[in-house]
Amino acid sequence: MRIRAAVIVALLLFVLFGIPQLFSLYYVDSMTEVAVYSIVALGLGVLVGRVGLVSLGQVAVLAIGAWAAARLLFATTQPYPVVLIEAGLITMVAGMVIGLPALRLRGLYLALITLMLAGAITVVLDTINFPNGGRGFLGYNGSAVTPPPIRLPSIAANDKAYFQYSVVVAIVMFLLVFVHTRTRPGRAWAAIRQSEPTALATGINVTLYKLWALALASFITGVAGGLLAGASHYLYSIDFPAQNSIILLAVVLMGGAYSMWGAVVAALLYQFLPALLQNWGVSADWLTILFGLGVVQVLTTAPAGLADQVPRDLARLGRLLRRRLARARPMGPMGPVGPAAAGGDPQ
Amino acid sequence: MPPWSDFEPFIVSGLALGGVYALSGVGLVVLYRATGVLYLAFGAVGAMGALIAWSVQQAGAPGWVGWVTCVVFAAVVTLGYGLLFGPPLAGRDPLVKAVATLGLTLVLYGVMDLLWTTSGGEARSITLPTDNGGFTVASIQVDWTQVIGLAAGVVITVATGAFLRYTKLGTAMRAMANDREITATLGVPVRKVEAAAWLGCGVLAGVAGILLADLVALDATTLTFLVVSSLAAVLIARLRSIAVTFAAAIVIGVVHDLITPITSLTNYRDMTPFVLAAIALLVVSRRQVISRSREEA
Repeated sequence: MRIRAAVIVALLLFVLFGIPQLFSLYYVDSMTEVAVYSIVALGLGVLVGRVGLVSLGQVAVLAIGAWAAARLLFATTQPYPVVLIEAGLITMVAGMVIGLPALRLRGLYLALITLMLAGAITVVLDTINFPNGGRGFLGYNGSAVTPPPIRLPSIAANDKAYFQYSVVVAIVMFLLVFVHTRTRPGRAWAAIRQSEPTALATGINVTLYKLWALALASFITGVAGGLLAGASHYLYSIDFPAQNSIILLAVVLMGGAYSMWGAVVAALLYQFLPALLQNWGVSADWLTILFGLGVVQVLTTAPAGLADQVPRDLARLGRLLRRRLARARPMGPMGPVGPAAAGGDPQ
Repeated sequence: MPPWSDFEPFIVSGLALGGVYALSGVGLVVLYRATGVLYLAFGAVGAMGALIAWSVQQAGAPGWVGWVTCVVFAAVVTLGYGLLFGPPLAGRDPLVKAVATLGLTLVLYGVMDLLWTTSGGEARSITLPTDNGGFTVASIQVDWTQVIGLAAGVVITVATGAFLRYTKLGTAMRAMANDREITATLGVPVRKVEAAAWLGCGVLAGVAGILLADLVALDATTLTFLVVSSLAAVLIARLRSIAVTFAAAIVIGVVHDLITPITSLTNYRDMTPFVLAAIALLVVSRRQVISRSREEA
């Protein structure tokens, strides 16, 4: 356990101080997006992996957060953390208002209604646009030739500092979710995921805890939207197409919805891989194809995703190699005893 | 509020669109009832079929070759997916099966974006010969493609209803919708019945792809996500009744197009299916607290 904690701390220190020094600005910007989307993926992971609610509209929720944050950043001079929390709270309220009636549905119906609601939000955003420093409630000035960029925090005014800022915010959000999963809500969610009627019978307030999960996921997605507003400087509704919600669900399932590492893997797949491929001149469409195949593969063979599958497969490979080595050396009187039972796939 | 005469042409186009949504919706419901899979790749398959048809026509082949290619492509891909991934996922939750078809959607979407580049390309379009002819009803111009759209919806709904009611295969599908295991025990060749449902759904996806490419636009994204409108109709019918699916699809098509001339609402017209489905679902779901039905468990 102590080794594990040390590894995590070392990794975080490398991410915080190593990446801005070692990588070019192009990759630092891309890693900022990874930090943002790891929060979004974490929120979706809470819904899918912890409670078993599949949402096909998380990118629309992210857009709400980004909209609220951009509006607040143009309208006020509040410090950045306050704006992030406010954006999170606004998104949380929006998510709960939309989600409370939808929570009566379950399974397939819930997933489809989130798809519908996300489509509706996308249509509204296409019409009202993102704030660009204009006046009025919507803050959109359609005739602005050079709209002002969305401001950055004073302590993180350049891209590299903003990357570190985003990582710190992401760490806080991961801790928030971690605390939730280790306490009463986490246990309630686990019970609900297993069987809703049983959870109800053991006295768990199913609606409350489902709503709680929805609120938590919406809150952190809203905060991520606030970070995204700063990272992208200018926001446009075409940056939040409805199909991205599907791709997001795909990468979260591929990364692994049950673990927090899965959220990081998902964000790397979703944001870093495209940046890498673009740099190499490969079309991002290959990634879409890969994600499509990945979803089918994950659903048919590895429900816990890459974050679970890769370490397990590596361990299996390690065992296999060790056995091969043992076989190569003629010293053992027992020899290899066939496939180890411990390596069995739980599926 | 604009004068009524502004709305008149939109009734016709709305009915045509609703007819195609109904056709798609019926295909989705039948497949869902027979196999438990909500085929979310329906739009993507039709879109790619339509793009292939366009390429075939660009290569100089006569129009009908393109249309046949489109339908055959959609049928083959759908049947192939069903045969390949139907059995391993058969025992899983309906949600898992539906999300797996999203994987197929992404694959097709990526391929379409790769092969038929949208950026800076020429605007593609498919025109059916039926676009030119037409007639006038009460001073509203109607072209034959619109007639085909609505007629296809009506014919497919009625024919599917009769098929499910009066044929052996249809009865087998209805039995599978009730209980897959018991149906298998009774000696119904489950896999063959499922394959038939996949094939039928694929053919409908191809037909819908061609019609929508003509009526709406030949564009990968638009066509892929038009399935959402049919999905809304299917949801209103609770994935069950093809008659309700038909009615809901027509209403969605007509309301969507009738909003178009109203200036203050025209930008929001694409919300029609979402809003109608959301209202219908939330009203219907008010009465159920814990579902005991098998398919939702």
